[in-house]
Amino acid sequence: MTKKNDGDILKRNGPSVHSSNPCFSRREFLFMGGIIFTAATASQCWSSGNSSLIIIEQANGLVVGDPSKCVGCRRCELACSEFNDGKASPVISRIKISRNLNPWISNPGVKQFGPGTFGNGLVIQDLCKQCPHPVPCANACPHNAIVLAPNTKARVVDSAKCVGCKICQRACPWDMISFDPDTNRATKCFLCNGNPKCVAACPAEALKYVPWCDLTKIERPRISPNTFISPSKASTCIECH
Amino acid sequence: MANYGGWVGKTLRVDLSNGNISIENTLERYKDYLGGTGIGYKVLWDEVPAGTQPFDPVNRIVFGVGPLAGTGAPCNGRTAITTLWPTCWPKSLVASGHMGGNFAAELKYAGFDAIIIYGKADQPVWLCILDGKAEIRDARNLWGEGIRRTSMEISRQMGPRASVAAIGQAGENLVPMSVVINSHSHSAGGVGSVMGSKNLKAIGVLGTGSVRIAGNKEEWEKAVNYHLSLLGANNQHVVPDSPQKWSEYYGPTRWVASPGRRWGAASSSIDTGSCDPHNLNRIAYRTNNAAFFLGERAWKYTVRGNGCSSCPIRCHTILKVPSVSSKYGIPEIGQNTCVGMLFGRNFFRSFPDGPKGETSIEACMVGMSLADDLGIWDNYGQMQRDFQELYYSGILKEKVGSKEFKSYSWDEYEKGSPNFLFKLLRGIALKRDELTTALGMGTGYHLERWGIPEKDWQERPELSYWKMGHPRHHSSEEAGQTGVIINTQYNRDSQCHSHTNFIRNGLPLHVQKQIAVDIWGSTDAIDAMSAYSPMNVYKAKMAKWSILRKELHDSLSICNWMGPWIASPLKEHNYKGDDSVESLLYSLATGNPKSREELDKDSERIFVLHRALTIRDMQTSDMRTKHDTFPKWIFKDQAGKPPFSSGSSAMDPDDIKLAMDMFYSEMGWDLETGAPRTETYQKLGLQDVADVFDRNGLAVG
Repeated sequence: MTKKNDGDILKRNGPSVHSSNPCFSRREFLFMGGIIFTAATASQCWSSGNSSLIIIEQANGLVVGDPSKCVGCRRCELACSEFNDGKASPVISRIKISRNLNPWISNPGVKQFGPGTFGNGLVIQDLCKQCPHPVPCANACPHNAIVLAPNTKARVVDSAKCVGCKICQRACPWDMISFDPDTNRATKCFLCNGNPKCVAACPAEALKYVPWCDLTKIERPRISPNTFISPSKASTCIECH
Repeated sequence: MANYGGWVGKTLRVDLSNGNISIENTLERYKDYLGGTGIGYKVLWDEVPAGTQPFDPVNRIVFGVGPLAGTGAPCNGRTAITTLWPTCWPKSLVASGHMGGNFAAELKYAGFDAIIIYGKADQPVWLCILDGKAEIRDARNLWGEGIRRTSMEISRQMGPRASVAAIGQAGENLVPMSVVINSHSHSAGGVGSVMGSKNLKAIGVLGTGSVRIAGNKEEWEKAVNYHLSLLGANNQHVVPDSPQKWSEYYGPTRWVASPGRRWGAASSSIDTGSCDPHNLNRIAYRTNNAAFFLGERAWKYTVRGNGCSSCPIRCHTILKVPSVSSKYGIPEIGQNTCVGMLFGRNFFRSFPDGPKGETSIEACMVGMSLADDLGIWDNYGQMQRDFQELYYSGILKEKVGSKEFKSYSWDEYEKGSPNFLFKLLRGIALKRDELTTALGMGTGYHLERWGIPEKDWQERPELSYWKMGHPRHHSSEEAGQTGVIINTQYNRDSQCHSHTNFIRNGLPLHVQKQIAVDIWGSTDAIDAMSAYSPMNVYKAKMAKWSILRKELHDSLSICNWMGPWIASPLKEHNYKGDDSVESLLYSLATGNPKSREELDKDSERIFVLHRALTIRDMQTSDMRTKHDTFPKWIFKDQAGKPPFSSGSSAMDPDDIKLAMDMFYSEMGWDLETGAPRTETYQKLGLQDVADVFDRNGLAVG
C-alpha cells in the first residue's frame, strides 16, 4: 500500500471508533484516563497502571477479498503459512479459504445453491477486519498478548506473551484467530508488516490491501463470540465508559 | 532417520477384511520411490502376487501423494491411484489413475503420504481419516447414492473442510468404466470398481496438520515465485491464442484470455483482459477450457475457473447454464475439463444447431451432471467413439436384440437431444441391459463380448484406439515417433504430456528447436507436427525424458498435465524454461538435496519397476512383440500422403522398428525383447526384481 492519504476519506467518514463510539480522540482519551503513556508503546498500545492493554488506534489498512474473482486455489493460505512460518498449513493461515471452499452442506438435496464449489461456485475469503476499539481478541486476552504492530497498526499476537489459552479464538466473531499446534501459540493476520503475502500470491487479483475501513458493522459474524473481558481490563474500560 | 520436510512421514495401511488399520513409516520403506505412483508400484510389486485379478481382495489400491503435495509448489494437486487395472485387456495389469482437487493436500494435512487399501469389507463402509487417525465407518446408508450426495453427507459428518473421494453407483456395481471423484469434479478413471469390489464407498480426509518446508523460507518463497514465472496456461502453452500487445507470437493454444473475453456468469462479469506473463497475479485468467473446447459461446456461461489446491492454472471451468435446470431437471451449475466436460457431447455425431451451438453445451451439462454423480469413466473419450461407431455401423442394433434396441429413442439420439443421455448413462452405472453392460466393460472386453476383433479398431485412425483396451493419448499425430514410443509403454492410455505440451506450446518451430538442443541435444529431436523426419536418436532421448518426467511428476505430486516447464512465456529468456525446477523445489521442500540427474534416476527406477510389474504379470519378458505394440492406423495418412512428406502424419513400419530399437538402447534394455536387463535393475537399486526374475526365468541377460 502506498503512503498516500487515499484512505483518509473513509477513515474520516466511515464508521470508526471515533464516530461509532461517541467518545473522544486519542489525545482526549489519554488525558481523561490519566494513563501513563510510555515512549516504548507510544504508537502501538495502551498500557494502564495495572498493565491492562486496550487498543484504541485504527490499523492503517486491511486486506479485502472479492469472492467473484476467487478461484479457490488456496495459494493465499499457502503463501501465508509457508512464507511466514516455513510450513504449508491452511489451519494456521490468517486468511481462511478452505473452510468456505466445499459444499453448502446444510441442505444437500435442494437445487438452491449457497456459496462453495458444491453450490453457486462463489468462494468467500474470510479475512481479519483489524477491528476498531473495542478489539474483541485483544480485549479477551488475559495476558495482553494481542498488541499493535509498529508500522501497520495491525493487531498482532505477541508470541512471547501468548500462553496458548485460546480465549482469543472464542472472542473473534469472525473466527479469524488461528492456533498453531506446533508452537502452542495463537496467531492472526499481522498484514505481513505492510506487504501481505496473500495479496502477492493471488493469481486472480481477488485480494487487495486497502486503507482501513470498518467492516465489522457490515459482515455477519461467523460464530457467537465469547465476550469475556478480564476484570483488570474491565476496570480500565470503566475509566472511559 | 533424518527429519525431512515435504513428506509427513506416515503411510496408512487398511485391511478391510478384518478391519485392521496400521501405520508405517513412509521414508523407511518408500523414500527411493518418492511417493505417488512410485509408492503404488512398489506396493503392488511387494504385496500383490502375479495372477491376481483386480476385484480379488488381495489386490491393493494405493492412494499415493508425494513430498510436494500440500505445499505451495505450483500445480501439486494430484493424487496417484495405483492398482490392477480393470479395463486393461485381455489381462489386467498395473496402471494408475490421477485425480486433482483438494484430496492430495488434505491427506498430507491429515498426516499421511499414502493409503494402502486391501481386503474386502463385509458390508459397505467408508474410511474416515482425521488428523493421524483412521476409522472404518458404516456406509450402508450411502450405498446406492450418487457421488455428490455421498460427498455432502460425509462432509456433514466430518466438517466442511473435509475432502471426500467417493464412488458412484457405477463403482458399486463393479462397472469397470468407473471413477472415484473428489472436490465435485476431479476424477481418477478406472478405479471406481476396484473400490466397489472392496465395499469401500468413500474416503474422507481432514487434517489440521502441516507440511514442513525444510529449507529456508525466504529461499522457498523465491523458488516458488521463480516456478510461477515460468508457467504458461493449461498444458504449459506459453503463447496466447490471439494477438496481444505484450506478445511476440500467437497460435492455437489454451491461453485464451483477452480483453473483451469475459467470465460472463460471474456475479459481476469479469474481463479476462491482458495477461502479460510477468503479472503473476493474473495467471488464473489465462485458461478457460470451456471456451477452448466449446467455443466463444461458453464465455457468457463462465462463472469462474476452478481446479486443484495450489494450482494457479484453473483447468476446470465452472459453468452456469440456467436453461438446463428447467429443460433437463439438473443443476444449472456444472464444472469439469477436457473429456470430463465433453462427456455428454461426445456421444453425439451432430446437433441441430451445430457442433458448438447451445445444444452441444447443454449436452455437456447433462453429461457432467450424470457422469460425475454416477461415477462413470469414458476412457479418454473412447467410450463415446465406440458408441458412435457401433451405432452408425449397425453393429449395436444387431448385438442388443430388437426388443432392447427399441427401448431407446434413437430418433432423439440422431437429432442430438441431450435427453437421450439419461437412460444411457444411468443404464451404464446400473448395468441395466446388454448395451450398457457392454459399454461399461471398456473397449477391449466390449469388443471381445461382441465378437469384434481388436484389429478392426486398430485400423481406423478416427477411432483413436491404440491397444489393450485403451486409446492413444498424444501419439504420432502430434509427436511422430516419439509419440508412438510413449504410447507403447503403458497398460492403459499413456497419460503422458511431457512431449505434447512442448510440441503444442505455440512457439514457432525454430524457437522450440533451440530449446530442444538444450534438453535433448539436437534440433532434430522435434519436427513440425505432421511433417516428420525419419527416426533419430534424439527423438528416442526425448521419449525417454518425457516418460521419466511423467513418472517424476506423478511421484512428487506435481501435475504432468501442466508441465514440463522447459519452455516459458518469457521472451527475455528466449522462451526457455528450466528443466531442474523440480529438483529445486524437491530439495528445498524435503531438505534432501537432489540434482536433476539424481531425480531422473529415481524416476527411472519407478518407471522400470512399472515395466517389471508388467513383465511379471504377463509372465513373459517379450515386451517387444507382446506388449509394446501399436495400431496399424499409425502407418496411414488420412489424405493418403506417404510418410515423411509435409502434411502427413503417417509413420513408416521400418522406421518405427528403428524407433523402438533406439528407445530400448537409450533405456539400456535388451533390443530383442524390450525387457530391462538384470544389470539395469541392479543399477537402479532393484536387486529384488532381478532376483525374482532370475528365479522364475523372466531374466534377460
